[in-house]
Amino acid sequence: MILAPPPPPPAVEASAFTREGSEQSVATDTGLRVAAALTDAQVKVDSSFRGASIVLYGAVFNPSDQPADVVVVVRGPDAPVRLVRKTRTLGVWLNSRPVLFEGAPGFYMTASTRPLSDIADFGQLRRLGVGVDHLRIDAPDEQRTVTRYGVRDVVISRLGEDYLDWRRAVIRLKEAAALYNTDPAGVSFVDKGLFRAEVELPASAPTGRYYAEVWLFREGEPASVSNLTLTVEKVGFERDIYEFAHRHPWLYGVLCVLLAAATGYGASRVFRRVG
Amino acid sequence: MDIYLPIAEVSVNWPLLVLLGALVGFVSGLFGIGGGFLMAPVLVFMGIPPTVAVASQASHVVASSTSGVIRYSGQGAVDYRMGGIMAAGGAVGAFAGVELFRYLRLLGQADLVVAVSYLVFLGAIGTLMLNESLTEILRRRRGETAPHKERRRPLWLYGLPFRMRFPRSGLFISIIPPIGLGVFAGVLSAIMGVGGGFILVPAMLYVLRMKAGVVVGTSLFQIIITTAITTILQAGRNQTVDIVLSILLLSGGVVGAQLGARFSGRFRAEELRAALGLIVLVVGIHMGMELFVRPTDIFLLAPGISDR
Repeated sequence: MILAPPPPPPAVEASAFTREGSEQSVATDTGLRVAAALTDAQVKVDSSFRGASIVLYGAVFNPSDQPADVVVVVRGPDAPVRLVRKTRTLGVWLNSRPVLFEGAPGFYMTASTRPLSDIADFGQLRRLGVGVDHLRIDAPDEQRTVTRYGVRDVVISRLGEDYLDWRRAVIRLKEAAALYNTDPAGVSFVDKGLFRAEVELPASAPTGRYYAEVWLFREGEPASVSNLTLTVEKVGFERDIYEFAHRHPWLYGVLCVLLAAATGYGASRVFRRVG
Repeated sequence: MDIYLPIAEVSVNWPLLVLLGALVGFVSGLFGIGGGFLMAPVLVFMGIPPTVAVASQASHVVASSTSGVIRYSGQGAVDYRMGGIMAAGGAVGAFAGVELFRYLRLLGQADLVVAVSYLVFLGAIGTLMLNESLTEILRRRRGETAPHKERRRPLWLYGLPFRMRFPRSGLFISIIPPIGLGVFAGVLSAIMGVGGGFILVPAMLYVLRMKAGVVVGTSLFQIIITTAITTILQAGRNQTVDIVLSILLLSGGVVGAQLGARFSGRFRAEELRAALGLIVLVVGIHMGMELFVRPTDIFLLAPGISDR
């Protein structure tokens, strides 16, 4: 079997189906369309945050008798991914030089009514970038070495022979951290034309803007799409600390030390009195 | 009972962290050490990123050492002059260590260097302590008396310039060896997240030949300064200090440390050293195993680009 080439950028972006800047569903085929909404479009990360479960619900307007499939794709903010590979040298496991993927979603999940491969063919899914196997993980055409902060990184090439190994590793590691997820039965119809899906965000989900696409497929062709956005942000005390630590890192460090020293001092005073 | 840590960006069970702080504090009070070498592996095991674990527990070391120094200071068992000179070296070492750690992290080699450091330093110190204390325990059992210890200081210590008088330690030596020791402890503090007491104490006893009574107090004093600088540098350069994690650990830690210090009077010094040597050796071997055991996944995510 010939290994499939890595995914090219999708020729049809999801936005091609929507009006600029709107969050409305738009029919691409007369009559058949999908509408969806989230129970909570704003996830607040506070001290009690242990991950979140958001319900996405929607309706399919299908005047014909032909069945249609719903696929929900949720993408988190892109971030570079660096990987090392452990290799055994003289009986000791050592790390290779880091390899860099320039952009991969920090969160990615699909939920669908049936396995994706039954809903649409390989080419279609790849073109739309739907499914973890067709996910765009940015890699340049040529392998090159970049120096960042005095450290030389290898930027993995899309044409390189072990590209697929590295790519699979990114997906496997993210899946292990519950950041990537595929649920072939994640979209369930609660009533005729009314469906729901759950978006499970782990506690380690990155903060930022998430994009959800709800695709309606009929006979393997995308018939309609609804775009939604979701923001995950730190709030209250958590955000104050995070921002303070990043805006005034030195002052933050000094305060941490003073707090520690004061606690130590306080404890010894208290215990001296008690004992 | 879970709490979300703002810098580590993970959710953990907080009573467990307080308990861990108390437990490590107890061990540190019992043996007169910082206990950082015990805490980092457990934190990593709990799912906290190693870089955050190493940087945040440094403040736990500051708290328990402060509490220790106040106790020793009351007994006049802290040589502030010696401690200050070692801390000057420690500051330089901490600065170099934080930069080195940052570079290694970007190289993707940080975990490897941490594993090797634990294996080498803890393995060696643990073996030495265990060997020395077991010999002494056996000797006592047989009713033999301790052989006369060589009290001569190494000659090279006298050949060095910049000599200074340290009345409390009973020394008149060059300031170069204490500074060197401080630098070394500072680098370890940044890379392993430890105070370095387990290396400083034997070095001060056997190399510098300080008076035994002031060794622990002085090493704790120098550890406060070195780890305080490390914490500030880690926060300033790497933004890896999680204050919520620190507070949880040290709130348990200070209580544990006081309890541990009370218990320490009930045991013989060599028995304590044997137990500590065993703990040190086990932790060192455990951390070092990572180098030899086939990893579950040969690929590993390396941090370091998104955080500037």
